[in-house]
Amino acid sequence: MELIEHPPILHIAAIPDHILYTWIAMAILITVAFVASRRVQLVPTGSQNFMEIVLEQFVKELDETIGHDGRRYLPLIATLGLFILVSNLMGLVPGLVAPTANLNTTAACALIVFVTYHVIGVRKQGFIPYLKHFAGPVPTVLKPLMFVIEIISHCARPLSLSLRLFGNMMAGHILLAIFFFMMGFDGMLGWALRGSVAGLVIGAPAALIMVVFVVGFLFPLKILVAFIQTFIFCKLAMLYIAAAVEEAEHH
Amino acid sequence: MPRILTMSMMAILAVPGMAWAQGAAAAGGDDLAKAFAVLAAGLGFGLAAGLCGLGQGRAAGQAVDAMARQPGAIARIQTAMLLGLAFIESLVLFVFVIAVILLFVKS
Repeated sequence: MELIEHPPILHIAAIPDHILYTWIAMAILITVAFVASRRVQLVPTGSQNFMEIVLEQFVKELDETIGHDGRRYLPLIATLGLFILVSNLMGLVPGLVAPTANLNTTAACALIVFVTYHVIGVRKQGFIPYLKHFAGPVPTVLKPLMFVIEIISHCARPLSLSLRLFGNMMAGHILLAIFFFMMGFDGMLGWALRGSVAGLVIGAPAALIMVVFVVGFLFPLKILVAFIQTFIFCKLAMLYIAAAVEEAEHH
Repeated sequence: MPRILTMSMMAILAVPGMAWAQGAAAAGGDDLAKAFAVLAAGLGFGLAAGLCGLGQGRAAGQAVDAMARQPGAIARIQTAMLLGLAFIESLVLFVFVIAVILLFVKS
């Protein structure tokens, strides 16, 4: 990895990169939130307008997924979503690191979701009824089996939640690094600049094709993936919370 | 015919290992393990990506079919499709994580 990848622009010894860039993402979010909410007006303009539009998307999804009680969870979901979105997009800027391309960051987010929806479920319907729900609507003989299976599936949720985000970001990172390496001065462009005939005939067109491919296809795809992964993380968190809340209303 | 196919597949799989074994007789088992790790990472990720392509293609195709039949429900179908695609894709990403571990973590 170190062979094909340049170190990030900003690097402080003794602080891991993903933590440093988590702080940068936090700084971006805090600045935007501060600027947007400094003078709150009834008819929003500028940055306040922008933030309201962004948050309205979260509110819409919450209303759709959880229902009438959904807006209580807006702070949690919107915070996670905005942080993950900013982190994902930071990974696309050359020289910066996506904090979500590290398993520690995504595992932290997924564990927050895991603990939160269990706490919400226990608070809504009490500890014992919540545990009973794991057994599900099956005959009594099958209940222990269902209980174990359900526990395993609940433990798999934070695992898949964190690994999905991490894998997507990490794969995109490696892909972009490899493409930049292949078309850069160590790769095709360097071959062409070295002045041999083969380099000029093959290397220069190949470098041009790669630049067009990366700028025209790979970067838009990565931006799309950043948004979709944020959406999926938030949607799954909402679905888990909705499942914990809904079961209380059925019984 | 299937037997020939299977045997040729096995031969193709065995060639790198044998070639390596000849060269690495003096180098010891560590390099051999590394060679097989690289082989496993490449083959496993290729398999996972191909099968994921089949699954995701089917899911996306069915979703487009449903959207064409019911243009009113496009938003809901899209959400469900994205969630389904994410679940299919996450299985490939597990393989990706395993491949990265095989390639970059020194055992």
